[in-house]
Amino acid sequence: MTSKKIILTGSFGVGKTSLFNQFIFNKFSDKYLTTIGVKVNKKSVFVDGEEVNLLVWDIAGEVSQDKVPTSYFLGASGIIYVFDLTRPLTYKNLEKDIDYLKQILPGGLIKIVGNKKDLLEEDAIAKVVNDVTMPISILTSAKSGENVEDLFNDLAKSLIK
Amino acid sequence: MAESHKPIHDEVLLDRLKEILLWDDRKELDEIKQILDTRAHLSERVSPIIEEHLSALKETFSEDYKEIINKLIEVKLKNSQEEIVNSLYPSLGRMIKKYIGHQFELLKENIDNSVKKTFSPAGFKRRVKSFFTGVKESELILSNANNYTIQEVFLIERDSGLLMGSASLHTTFDQDVVAGMLTAIKAFVEDAFKKEKQELEFIEYGNYKIVIQTFFSYYMAAAIDGTMITQEKFDVEESMHDFASAELTGAKSSEVSNSELISKKLYEYFIKK
Repeated sequence: MTSKKIILTGSFGVGKTSLFNQFIFNKFSDKYLTTIGVKVNKKSVFVDGEEVNLLVWDIAGEVSQDKVPTSYFLGASGIIYVFDLTRPLTYKNLEKDIDYLKQILPGGLIKIVGNKKDLLEEDAIAKVVNDVTMPISILTSAKSGENVEDLFNDLAKSLIK
Repeated sequence: MAESHKPIHDEVLLDRLKEILLWDDRKELDEIKQILDTRAHLSERVSPIIEEHLSALKETFSEDYKEIINKLIEVKLKNSQEEIVNSLYPSLGRMIKKYIGHQFELLKENIDNSVKKTFSPAGFKRRVKSFFTGVKESELILSNANNYTIQEVFLIERDSGLLMGSASLHTTFDQDVVAGMLTAIKAFVEDAFKKEKQELEFIEYGNYKIVIQTFFSYYMAAAIDGTMITQEKFDVEESMHDFASAELTGAKSSEVSNSELISKKLYEYFIKK
């Protein structure tokens, strides 16, 4: 069985922990509890019959990625950068943050995720996608669970290829 | 002209008359003024009166003001409960620690005394061991009395926190998650205090301890339940180094990445014995 370390990062309140809880425990809570430091959990997914252990590190949100301790990223195979589709402030520095993450994890896989899609209408989502300067990997809703499994399964697939 | 001089003459006469009549009164007034204006003189007169009142107050103070003071203290205590606890906590902690230390010393002394009185073969053997190793007999007895067990051992990739192998006496929690969280805690502590070339080596809560030894690309952590003396902690660290040099240094990468094989070796080395 292969094990991979995945980092969930992004600004505060974008729904990283909700994605984490939805993926690991199939649970969602409306209560907002800020993450202190980091929370680690795991879930196994199957890729072409092979079991992959995903060790997900849910890191406390920071406005800028250079505020996150770099040691958390060490040895990671992939990063999920989450932003909130309803809060432009959370994707304003997207390009700068992604450049920084590429520097600290060269060769690492980075997925850009727009979360809270359940809160916007289709045309509003299209406008945000248009405004964001980098290609978004997937749009998710941690609340309804839409695309959450797909996000992690796709990531696992890309990692063991 | 003579008429104009007359009132002046009368005034002078009146002043002289006043002087004669009020001489004693003025003298007394001057003396009083001097007493009031001079601190030393005033103190000489007033002090005994104050002293007298003060000693009377001392005698009756607790009775007269008891209720007011009780009420004040009660209010102050109620309002600053947290403050009081905060200021007492460290002192109490130190006192308890000191007390326990003292009791421990007494215990060691008692053991020493009983050892001196014991002539059993075991006692003789212990004495010989103590003589040759330089370890006090009391410590040898205590070390036998100490009840600690290695509950779990983890071999973890240093950077990623991924588990390379583990062995447990009783599995309590997902070991992959424990390895990840341990790495996160370790990374946090080392990052936060930024002490060059220093690693987190020990975590303790209550009777539970985690002894950590970091190597180049991995680290080992042993979760221990029970009490252990410094020498025993050192022994566990030494065992980790022995295991690393015997089983990991120079091993083929396929062996090191074989989690099952590593776990089996860890079990035999740390848990089974």
